[in-house]
Amino acid sequence: MTEKEAAEKLKEAILSFDENLAEETARQVVINKLDPLNAVNGGLVSGLDLIGEKYENDEIFLPELMMAAKTFSSAMQILEPAIMESGQERTIKGVIVLGTVKGDIHKIGKDIVILLLRNSGYEVHDLGEDVDLFTFIETAKKVNADAIGLSALLTSTLSGQKDVIDALVQEGMRDRYILMVGGGAVTPEWAEEIGADLYAENAQTAVRKLTEMIGSRK
Amino acid sequence: MLSFPDVIDRAVEGPLMSDQDYYLKRYVPELTSVIQKYKIKYNPETPLPSDDGLADTLFEAAVDFFSRVGAYCPDTSRVMEFTQDEILRAAAEAPAEATFGEGPDRKVMRSRKPDDHSEPWYHLGGGIYTTSEAVFMNQVEGLASIRKANSLSIPTSINIRGQDARVRSPHEVLATIKTVTMARDACRRAGRPGLPILNGISTATNPISMFAAAYPTFGLRPSDGYLVDSLAELVVDFEALDKVAFFTNIGANIGSTSTPLFGGYNGGAEGNAIVTLVYNLLGILVFRATYHYNAPLHTKLRVSSTRPLLWIISLANQALHRNAPFATLNLPYLAGGAGTDCYYYEMAAYHTCVVTSGGNVLSGHPSIAVEPDSILPLDHVLNVEFGQAASKLTRKEANPMILKLLEKYEGLLKDPPRGHRYSDCYDLVTGRISNAEYEKNADRVREEMKSIGLPVVKST
Repeated sequence: MTEKEAAEKLKEAILSFDENLAEETARQVVINKLDPLNAVNGGLVSGLDLIGEKYENDEIFLPELMMAAKTFSSAMQILEPAIMESGQERTIKGVIVLGTVKGDIHKIGKDIVILLLRNSGYEVHDLGEDVDLFTFIETAKKVNADAIGLSALLTSTLSGQKDVIDALVQEGMRDRYILMVGGGAVTPEWAEEIGADLYAENAQTAVRKLTEMIGSRK
Repeated sequence: MLSFPDVIDRAVEGPLMSDQDYYLKRYVPELTSVIQKYKIKYNPETPLPSDDGLADTLFEAAVDFFSRVGAYCPDTSRVMEFTQDEILRAAAEAPAEATFGEGPDRKVMRSRKPDDHSEPWYHLGGGIYTTSEAVFMNQVEGLASIRKANSLSIPTSINIRGQDARVRSPHEVLATIKTVTMARDACRRAGRPGLPILNGISTATNPISMFAAAYPTFGLRPSDGYLVDSLAELVVDFEALDKVAFFTNIGANIGSTSTPLFGGYNGGAEGNAIVTLVYNLLGILVFRATYHYNAPLHTKLRVSSTRPLLWIISLANQALHRNAPFATLNLPYLAGGAGTDCYYYEMAAYHTCVVTSGGNVLSGHPSIAVEPDSILPLDHVLNVEFGQAASKLTRKEANPMILKLLEKYEGLLKDPPRGHRYSDCYDLVTGRISNAEYEKNADRVREEMKSIGLPVVKST
């Protein structure tokens, strides 16, 4: 198996959500001593990029995003140790801490953003729903996050987004993180009012804007 | 039908499961399997389908799917399971009509049939919040003054002494009481104190606020309607069951609500049509509802008016009203802002699909819904006129018109025109229209609708 063939098969595995094919091809990469990083970037990540496009065009939906992510993880369990062994390191686009703010228990919108971010190469720490403001801050400190994402669906829970930003200002850490807000009740005006860095009206926009912003800061 | 205490038992005795496993190992695979088993297939050429066989198959598929996945209770991490027999029995005992309001405004909302030419129920308003008390009163009075309005949704007022009311805070309790009191006063100002309010209780996000504002002193009555929500998808929490426990015990109308998400766990059109119907069955069985709010929504665009979503709302209503008569209101989230042509085209398409499929009218909600003050009473007059006109059509007659309307607005959904706010079109003191262009455009839109086959009659 050549590197090109391996990459093609891994891409195909992602697009067809075929975990067996992904694992088998990953094993072949290791056995044949092919470059594992090339297999990830040229195969798995290319597949995930196409998955993102299909999602954007309503050709696939959340279940398929989840299956693609699961297929990716299956292959990575085999390729990750090989990458470490080769002394290489997979580039992570950024580290994100994300959750639904205090008082709000809606999850699907947040889950879609997380899947798209992970599929795009971000390390995402999902804090879940109804998250206390200090949990956002403590986790961001602990994992050395680039950005904090705050989701709120209800008008009456918007204040939870402001609370996190206020607490960061109070602790003198506001400039350390990109603050991203989204969710049904959020408007660009609200994002500006509370001093968020980034407002996204949907999951794809969140990924695109965040990538641009992280890129411009690096 | 299974008793409510038996329903509660299912939440505390059902099989234990994490929510992740519920969706990944049960919900998504079973939905895929049911779509394949019943060969449900979306056809973009018929956003308003008229195939009764397909509607009946969808009903079977929904009962099957509901019996396979049940509902998820996050408070106990258990799956509330129901047998096909229990679901079908609930469907057979579905309340086909519900009585709302007092005095001259006491009326009966019914489940209609597909291609039924009876006039639908007109439920006007939206859940749009407003921060200004003056505008709130004018909006509600304006809506209550629409002669054909059978019931109202009142806006949410989350502002208390200059502060936004936080969820679960005492401010929220106060804001909820204020909202209810003001809304009843505004109905009284319109000369319709008995007009029912069916989105009890906007502003309240939790049972404490709801129960507080339901205290009779504040003006709500059991003949109004109280909403109990499922969270997407098929999540039934204790707060929802708490509301059911209370409102059934005061003999009130309960409205079950649902927002199945297109693009979420339900996938595309087929999965969402099944789940939209399941939520109605869940409303009857679990929430003991006398009416249901359907509001399937596109996750990315946040609207209900896309082509597949029209198919979903049409087919789900047809399947329900043919097999389990249960009065439905159908909430359109529309992309175009208030007073825009885009908003009117979407509204006409949505109401025509709903009304010819057996549903009732809930007036359109501009999807820039988080903007305050975008309820314009004249827009809601048009909602009534379009719904009334649609009742004169059959599904087959209406489908070509839906295709024409889609041609007009489908391309605008990703970047819809922003609309007017109340103060752009109405005098804040008199509550009368102050923007002649806005009124003139409504007349032009009426004529345009007639020209494409919707027999609109201007209200007197």
